Amino acid sequence: MRKIIAICSLEMKRTFKRRSSYFIMFAMPLIFTLLFGGLFGENAGSAMPVAIVDEDGSIYSQQLIRQLKAHPFVEYEEVDAATAKELLSEKSVEGVVTIKKDFLGHVAKEEPAVMLQHPPGTAAAPMLEQLYNQALRTLDLQVTAAQIGASYENKEWDLVFEQLIETESGTDGISEIHMNDTQVESWNKMSYSSAGFSIMFVMIVMLFTTGTLIEARSMGIWSRLLTTPATRIQLTLGYVLSFFIIGFVQFSLLILLTSLLFGVQWGDPLGLAVLVITLLLCVVGLGMAIATLVKTSEQQSAVGMLLIISTSMLGGVYWPLDIVPEFMRKIANFVPQSWAIEGFKSLVDGAALGDIMTPILVLLGFSIVFLSIGISRVRYQ
Amino acid sequence: MLTMTNVKKRFGEKEVVKGITLHVGKGEAFGLLGPNGAGKSTTISMICGLVPYDEGDIQVDGLSVGRSPYEIKKKIGVVPQDIALYPTLSAFDNLVFWGKMYGLKGREAKARAFEVLETVGLSERGKDRIETFSGGMKRRINIGAALLHRPELLIMDEPTVGIDPQSRHHILETVKRLNEQGMTIIYTSHYMEEVEFLCKRIAIMDHGQVIATGSTQELCKRLAGGNQLLLDVEEARPAFVEKLKQLDGIEKVIHPEPSEIHLYVKQGQDMMASIVSMAAKEAVKLRQIKLKEADLETLFLQMTGRSLRD
Repeated sequence: MRKIIAICSLEMKRTFKRRSSYFIMFAMPLIFTLLFGGLFGENAGSAMPVAIVDEDGSIYSQQLIRQLKAHPFVEYEEVDAATAKELLSEKSVEGVVTIKKDFLGHVAKEEPAVMLQHPPGTAAAPMLEQLYNQALRTLDLQVTAAQIGASYENKEWDLVFEQLIETESGTDGISEIHMNDTQVESWNKMSYSSAGFSIMFVMIVMLFTTGTLIEARSMGIWSRLLTTPATRIQLTLGYVLSFFIIGFVQFSLLILLTSLLFGVQWGDPLGLAVLVITLLLCVVGLGMAIATLVKTSEQQSAVGMLLIISTSMLGGVYWPLDIVPEFMRKIANFVPQSWAIEGFKSLVDGAALGDIMTPILVLLGFSIVFLSIGISRVRYQ
Repeated sequence: MLTMTNVKKRFGEKEVVKGITLHVGKGEAFGLLGPNGAGKSTTISMICGLVPYDEGDIQVDGLSVGRSPYEIKKKIGVVPQDIALYPTLSAFDNLVFWGKMYGLKGREAKARAFEVLETVGLSERGKDRIETFSGGMKRRINIGAALLHRPELLIMDEPTVGIDPQSRHHILETVKRLNEQGMTIIYTSHYMEEVEFLCKRIAIMDHGQVIATGSTQELCKRLAGGNQLLLDVEEARPAFVEKLKQLDGIEKVIHPEPSEIHLYVKQGQDMMASIVSMAAKEAVKLRQIKLKEADLETLFLQMTGRSLRD
């Protein structure tokens, strides 16, 4: 045990002795959180303005508008067709969404029920299309639910739909009392950025920290360690433990700092602790796997950074996965960051440990795979 | 202290150590010489337990390396050829770490680190980071890291590579002192004079085998010729080399360079006149003829056909 502690304290000393470590470990994630949290926050006024024209004027089209308005990144203004045209020509809005007359009829016939107008080459178009499809899917579910309910109750389905909407509106109404409070809303956005950038920078720091394995190998330190009366298991445990503790210190301090500085509420402490531990096991495993698969520090930096940044993009670290196409969301399932983000989001929304077992188990699966590769490839020669 | 009995090691198809048998007594300073690829590093790695041997046995202080590797590692200190230290940490922190890896407790490790800094003559630089040290100072700390647990056997693999004469002198004096205090030393080097200065006995390795063991004097006596005549010629024609081989009193002829011929002779002085006259007869322009007393370098060249630094 003394030898494991010796390796562990040495690696911690090496990491925390470097001033640059503090910048990467704490300053960078806080700056990014502040920038992105503020950028996506309502108060920053970055929500995309879009005009919406309801030619149908039915409860279905209104429900669709309600669904669309639920998304924080787009600010919809309900106007008539003439005003919408004017706003678009003045470039006061990024686009105009027109819900056609007989909206539900068009949907039933699988015809285009909504028209989207936007200036050529606007970046908003794919996102609006995505959000519309998402809202339509929800509406479709509600209509189906109303039809099934109506068949049981021998009622007209549109009456059941109205009841369903009213119930939902009622619930919304109650939540609005809380959710419309801008402070609470900002906290959630800041929480999102805090979780995302904490994950990303813990991964980056782990990449540099596990680089010690390459350094030790190239400098002959591994060979020398093997001439001491320490077993290979002790050496491996010493390294794994040191990486884990460094990551844990970093994540814990980031949680504390984002709570104090940005008022982020991370949720259930037990759930949070278990989620952070499984995420760190996964990150340590990934760092070790990269360090043992490459030959030089340069290769490790290049491969590692590419992997971290691309998987962070895919995993919803920079932006919510709601705004990306379906196939990208499917790819995100194979990226640990997306599961970690899902876990943190659930905790922030009030979930407890029991509610986040899926992301925890998936992260544990990733950890087992990465640690097995990393540990099995440590050769100490 | 160390006994190797018919030790063999194979890497794939290639047998790199071909049945080494050696004995190093307690308190002895033993030199292991050999050109690159002779099998020295593999032999040292096997003694340290880094590389398992395929056949035979290695015993350190009566314990088999194969059966009790961790017990043996407590008795051995290894100074690797690489400077295996953490450059961003201080010399003291490095020593404390290696002390702990050898099983010393916190206070003991710190106390020993101070003592070792004194032994290697760097007490005043203990707090400085290794990366600020000169090559020689790094080498001294590299040796110090192997001394913390007071090993009975110190194995040094070319510990003076690339350092200034002053640091080399300091290291050699330190090693000699350690040996005088009773520590057994196994020393490998490309520098003959270091081995001659430190070691009472040496073994010469080539192509995975020990080709000679004994004291420097004993080995020099074994030279085919007691002396060496070094001829510097304009062009050493094969016919001339062949005729030299047939001369009485010449034991061996080596022709390492187109313009160099080394002759191993019993009485060099007596041979000079006949060689000069043969060169004149064969129309070979003899630029210089030099008589060299037998030493380890000569012995090595004669036995392996290669210079030690090849």
